[in-house]
Amino acid sequence: MLDFNVLIPETAEPDKLWDLIILGGGPAGLTAGIYAARYKLETLLLEKSIVSGGQLTATQWIENYPGFREPVLGKKLAADMEAQAKHFGLKVISENVQSVNLADEIKEIETDYAKYQAKTVIIATGSSPRRLGLSDEQKYAGNGVSYCSTCDAPFFKDKVVAVVGGGNTAFEEALFITKYASQLYLIHRREEFTADRIFQDKVFAEPNIKIITNSVVTGLNFDLQVGRSLNLQNTISKESSELEVDGIFIFIGNLPNTALFTQQLELDEGYVVTNRKYETNQKGVWAIGDVQKGVLRQVATAVGDGAGAAHQVNKYLVENH
Amino acid sequence: MPMLDEKVMSEVKKVLAAMREPVTLRLYTQELECAYCKDTHTLLDELVEANPLLKLEVIKFDEVKEDAAKEGIDKLPAIVVVGERDYGIRFYGIPAGYEFSALLNAILMVSTKIVKLTDETKEFLAKLDKPVHLQVYVTPTCPYCPPSVILAHQLAMASKMVRADMVEASEFPHLVQKYSVQGVPRTVINEKWFVEGAAPEAMVIAKIKEALLDA
Ligand SMILES: Cc1cc2nc3c(=O)[nH]c(=O)nc-3n(C[C@H](O)[C@H](O)[C@H](O)COP(=O)(O)OP(=O)(O)OC[C@H]3O[C@@H](n4cnc5c(N)ncnc54)[C@H](O)[C@@H]3O)c2cc1C
Repeated sequence: MLDFNVLIPETAEPDKLWDLIILGGGPAGLTAGIYAARYKLETLLLEKSIVSGGQLTATQWIENYPGFREPVLGKKLAADMEAQAKHFGLKVISENVQSVNLADEIKEIETDYAKYQAKTVIIATGSSPRRLGLSDEQKYAGNGVSYCSTCDAPFFKDKVVAVVGGGNTAFEEALFITKYASQLYLIHRREEFTADRIFQDKVFAEPNIKIITNSVVTGLNFDLQVGRSLNLQNTISKESSELEVDGIFIFIGNLPNTALFTQQLELDEGYVVTNRKYETNQKGVWAIGDVQKGVLRQVATAVGDGAGAAHQVNKYLVENH
Repeated sequence: MPMLDEKVMSEVKKVLAAMREPVTLRLYTQELECAYCKDTHTLLDELVEANPLLKLEVIKFDEVKEDAAKEGIDKLPAIVVVGERDYGIRFYGIPAGYEFSALLNAILMVSTKIVKLTDETKEFLAKLDKPVHLQVYVTPTCPYCPPSVILAHQLAMASKMVRADMVEASEFPHLVQKYSVQGVPRTVINEKWFVEGAAPEAMVIAKIKEALLDA
């Protein structure tokens, strides 16, 4: 079945003083946008991709988001959230935020194309996939190394692939990738997995998935298009081995997208430090979703954060302006 | 049942209401050995109903092969988005899924002549005196792909030296093989240089500069 997405980048007046600018259009930012627009705050959401939804668009099915007895397509959930937010008047612009000035009363946000000003800012820039850290990992990204199964799994039809990771994402994506791959090796550095039981049961029942535990990937032998392999090392016996694969998908957690804020916000291991009201150490700046320190990183929690922070922003604007 | 259902069609109409100048979608097709020619034809037939400024011109590829080759058209289905002139904006394979947005974008861009590029890029394009051919490999389900396609098409719009193709990877396996595409988006510059992923404008321009220096 063919589907057709209608997403057209808009532009916004740069001279306006916005009540609120939201950075990032994942589930956290979009939900904050829905609430802010309904509070009738003049709200601008800046999202670098033309497709909102953040990591929601990088996965096929979401099974644990309340309200959907049948799994819901990540990209459908994302598109619906965006349409709902726009329906209430949220302005969504697809521009990449380049720099920010959060210290002053009026916050300044600069993108590749314009500078915007706001009374308050919500940071919802989410996170990006963590890399394994191998020397030629970057070189083969898009050519054998992947972090997005909905994007790249179809290129591995009837091929042999490795999936690295032991959490929910690795397990869920492995199940999706086996629909294409003829053989899948799930490689994890420990004996035990952190993935939910429900995913583990499904993966273990899959005849095409072979589990390799206590092993780390130490090298990619990807020079040629055929006859590729991985170097593995057993973390206990320290023995090395080689595993023939055509490609590798890496799902070993995330890193927060906070490079923009290092000089201006209190961060801990890169994550933004917030309190229970989503406040950061800067007055008039809140942070929600995956970027925060010490939270569960899920769609349901991101959405809850968005609602909560928009409420805080509204209260702040009523009291201070 | 139509390909573009009522809901999508009403969104398309809303979006295309911003058109100013007429736009022709030139579709190259053939009956045999083209998996998506028919679907693409149906899609465009329905799409042009959305706005009277939008026209479809269907060209039988085998009848014009040589002329088409001069315009760089070498695979099917091919859509050329033509406004006041042919800016070098092409789609190879069906623009479905997220790429449908890239097609609507190209139509609006050609119709309004509005491009969103930084001053640095515009300066670079103004001085560009060597041909640049961009091929952006995509799949319809890739959410990170349309920005790369839109960027390439904007560069084509802004410079006569640039030709920019969207290529739907799954329909052209031999090219996927040739350029070792195993992930999308992957942008091929003048056949030999590559940009992985949805790279920002400045990075793509830097890579184009590199390709031109090396050539
Ligand atoms: C493969 C995969 C599968 C998953 N499966 C599930 C699941 O089944 N259930 C579940 O609950 N959760 C799942 N998750 C986790 C869930 O998707 C995230 O917790 C959630 O998306 C976080 O939302 P967010 O809005 O905080 O951030 P994100 O979704 O990361 O969104 C952040 C947005 O900010 C934008 N952005 C970043 N920097 C900038 C900038 N400088 N300028 C402009 N925009 C910027 C990004 O483009 C992005 O759109 C999965 C994640 C992945 C990767």
